[in-house]
Amino acid sequence: MSRVRGVALLALALSFGILAACGGGTPATRGAEPGMRLLTEPQYRRIIADIFGEQITIGGTFDPLVRTNGLLTVGSSDAHITPAGLEQLDRMARSIAAQVTSEENRDFLIPCAPADALSPDPQCARLFFRDTGRLLYRRPLSKDELDAAVAVADAATTELGSFHEGLAAGLAGMLISPSFLFVIEEVEPDPDREGAVRLDAYAKAARLSFFLWGTSPDDELLRVAESGELHAPRMMKKQVDRLLDSPRLEQGLRLFFDDMLNFENIARLEKDAIIYPAFSTAVANDAREQTLRTMMDVVLRQDGDYRDVFTTRKTFLSGPLGRIYRVPVSRPDGGWMEYEFPEGDPRVGIATHISFTALHSHAGRSSPTLRGKAIREILLCQRVPDPPGTVDFSKFNDPQSPAHTARERLTVHSIEPACAGCHKLTDPVGLGMEHIDGAGQLRTSEEGYPIDATGELDGFDFKDVAGIGPALRENPAAPACLVNRLYSYATARTPVRNERKYLKHLEHRFEDDGFKVRALLREIALGEAMYAVRQPAARTAAVNGSPRGKS
Amino acid sequence: MMSTSLFARRAAFVSLFGLLAIAAQAPLHAAANGQSMGFVVTTWNIASYETRFVDECPEGLNVGYDEYWWRSLSKPDRARYTDNGLKSRLERYFNAIRRGPNGEDVCMNPTVVKDPPHRLVESEKAYGMDLDGKDGVTAGRSCPHKEFTGIDGTKGVDNQLYRLLGCVYGFRSYGQFEANENENRKSNGKGMTLIEITGVDNPRNDPEVTVNFYRSIDLYTLDGSGRFLPHGSYRIDTYGGKPRYASQVRGKIVNGVLITEPGDVNLPFYGNYTYQNRLFRDLRMRMTLSKDGDSAEGTAAAYFDLDELMFYIGGLGPIQSTAISNCPSIYVAAHEIADGYPDPKTGECTALSSAFVFKAVSAFVVHDGAAGTMSAGQGWWQRVKEWFR
Repeated sequence: MSRVRGVALLALALSFGILAACGGGTPATRGAEPGMRLLTEPQYRRIIADIFGEQITIGGTFDPLVRTNGLLTVGSSDAHITPAGLEQLDRMARSIAAQVTSEENRDFLIPCAPADALSPDPQCARLFFRDTGRLLYRRPLSKDELDAAVAVADAATTELGSFHEGLAAGLAGMLISPSFLFVIEEVEPDPDREGAVRLDAYAKAARLSFFLWGTSPDDELLRVAESGELHAPRMMKKQVDRLLDSPRLEQGLRLFFDDMLNFENIARLEKDAIIYPAFSTAVANDAREQTLRTMMDVVLRQDGDYRDVFTTRKTFLSGPLGRIYRVPVSRPDGGWMEYEFPEGDPRVGIATHISFTALHSHAGRSSPTLRGKAIREILLCQRVPDPPGTVDFSKFNDPQSPAHTARERLTVHSIEPACAGCHKLTDPVGLGMEHIDGAGQLRTSEEGYPIDATGELDGFDFKDVAGIGPALRENPAAPACLVNRLYSYATARTPVRNERKYLKHLEHRFEDDGFKVRALLREIALGEAMYAVRQPAARTAAVNGSPRGKS
Repeated sequence: MMSTSLFARRAAFVSLFGLLAIAAQAPLHAAANGQSMGFVVTTWNIASYETRFVDECPEGLNVGYDEYWWRSLSKPDRARYTDNGLKSRLERYFNAIRRGPNGEDVCMNPTVVKDPPHRLVESEKAYGMDLDGKDGVTAGRSCPHKEFTGIDGTKGVDNQLYRLLGCVYGFRSYGQFEANENENRKSNGKGMTLIEITGVDNPRNDPEVTVNFYRSIDLYTLDGSGRFLPHGSYRIDTYGGKPRYASQVRGKIVNGVLITEPGDVNLPFYGNYTYQNRLFRDLRMRMTLSKDGDSAEGTAAAYFDLDELMFYIGGLGPIQSTAISNCPSIYVAAHEIADGYPDPKTGECTALSSAFVFKAVSAFVVHDGAAGTMSAGQGWWQRVKEWFR
């Protein structure tokens, strides 16, 4: 871009900015470079279930991701696959392919039958790979890709003497392909902005689908991407509304909140069975489900104020949860029931759920510090520095200490200069939650000593754990945090500097819309910011023509 | 002002809370307005007073039917029935039980043989209660019998079931019959007994409460080590919309001990492959509630129907061998020492005074398990605050 043109564009952008400021318009962004990210494990599982059905079982696990800007999804943009991780993915791919082509499933998952089940049938294989590959790669396969898949299937069929086993070999190859495992965003010249680039339609479709549904684009979205119609605002609006109206929105939103709330850690949550005998794996799993059901009820079914998730008394309980909450459940043998904690009960909002209080505790005791840190980092998007390397825990963990309650023990931190800075951020919040023990059970004393459960969060004082919900609800950082996380989730990256005004704009729109999440999703999904990209430094060649879909 | 700590007192009420609103079944003679406390019985055993050297059985424990059979065999028969002694005892049981003169099963037909007398408990002491008349309720409902002195010195304790079975290995503490009953219930959930105390205004002292007994259709909630967990939810067994078991007695709570008035109570039973709907006549109960409210234990005393008892013992069949028990001699002795509910025509008593010890953990008794939603009304937390205000 020449200097003159750059100045002209800057002036144009400024004028747009002024107009936007005067008219309350949407601040412009320049986005970031197009991304390339590894599917997260929940996305992988969702895609397989969507394409091949829920009956396909998936063993194995992905390599762990590094949580970035509060989300594993963002961390997936900086992921790599280890040799051991690749082995896992390969085993998963082979297992899935074998199930898809098995006798039980082939009749409805494979669109044709081979002329001879023992011999290659390139025509049938091509038909299968064309349709399935399009869904897996989130774009049509190129001729070379399709030919390669058919060739693998034919060769394997000849070797193994089974068409379906040959087909499975070809499918396994697709499932281990970077084109499937990585969401690779391609750009193309932007016809409306000379010299600029935009995401190609498939990349837009993928961003939209992963954002709202947590999975690959479906057939219709791919079709409008293929035709190029998705670039048209009217078609984009139509598709956004279709996705928002779909029942699959819930599955997508559940994946988002599961990520935001660090619920992947619940799968490995352990408690000391001697101290907390009622806590079990079933409790942990149901606790995760309880909170997700509660959030879906508030933000989707009621289309309510997002902040209500911090103060709602209404929730959903199962038998294992009833033992911890000490609430009778109507179906102790399984199933869920709606339940509303009565007025006066300290269970107010998701921060008092087991999924939060037990998750952010130690195995044998609660942790005001972990809870305070989680409140600030997860729900308010604030950063609490890690403890210094020289921190001395001996005073805190001293078994001879005369301290009986967590508040007394944590006094050590408040007088140690190296600790006090951060603990002032976490402990006043977490100490206010001490009426809930490390397993999520209510209590009023610790070691027989009454617990002082007064707390404070950013100037909001509360007298016990029932106050944490209102404190969060009234904290402006809570809805702002959701905006930040949702936008980050939508773009699978940390927001960049040029998006700050846009995020502020989103926060205002969120507030204007009554903090309704569905409206916020729509605002983000229809905004140009979600799809804005800059010229990729290392992938300039792609600007001159995407290799996609050349068949 | 009670002396217990706030925590202990709070915990004592845990089981109370959340039950009131789900107690859809209106008590027949409910106490005044109040809360409910629920418990699920975890173990239920014959109250057997056992000394270190079995002094209560001076002639030793009873001989099992297998032994009587073995004694009756000639040496050639012993060789024939046991493949020259090669068969294990277990394999001999099915022959041993059919030792009637015509091959009858002697547990199903206990009068076809005449065995040596059953060894009864001869101790002066026993667990139990005075069932036969001092309170006037059961006056005239007993046959002459020897009474025990209670472990605490109480005179006139009636416990003929202990007298009958206290010298039978399988019915003593941790004997096979007793262990099986509790283990069976724990593993398959049959014979689950719920105790619900309603109309509780003060869980430590309340002059009038109602005690309800139900059968649960749910399994125990256990921790990872198989220990009973408190605060589980248990649906009651219903038929045609009504509880299948729904006995009710009056009671009171004195210093944390529930004391019930005599009343007929039906309780579910499953053990050793036998189902029973057991009728305990004039049942009275003393149940001590733990201070944290998570558990309870107590003693129940009642007249136990003789036919029901013999149906159960007869049905034990070959198991009696490993439990070293013998149906015919028990049958004879049971009829001889039965002390309750004389037959109006024959004058012979038809029931045995009995006593049982039991343990329980707190439970939510769910009356309407079909409902998909549930409201607990006021939560237990709120009630804690109100109660200890």
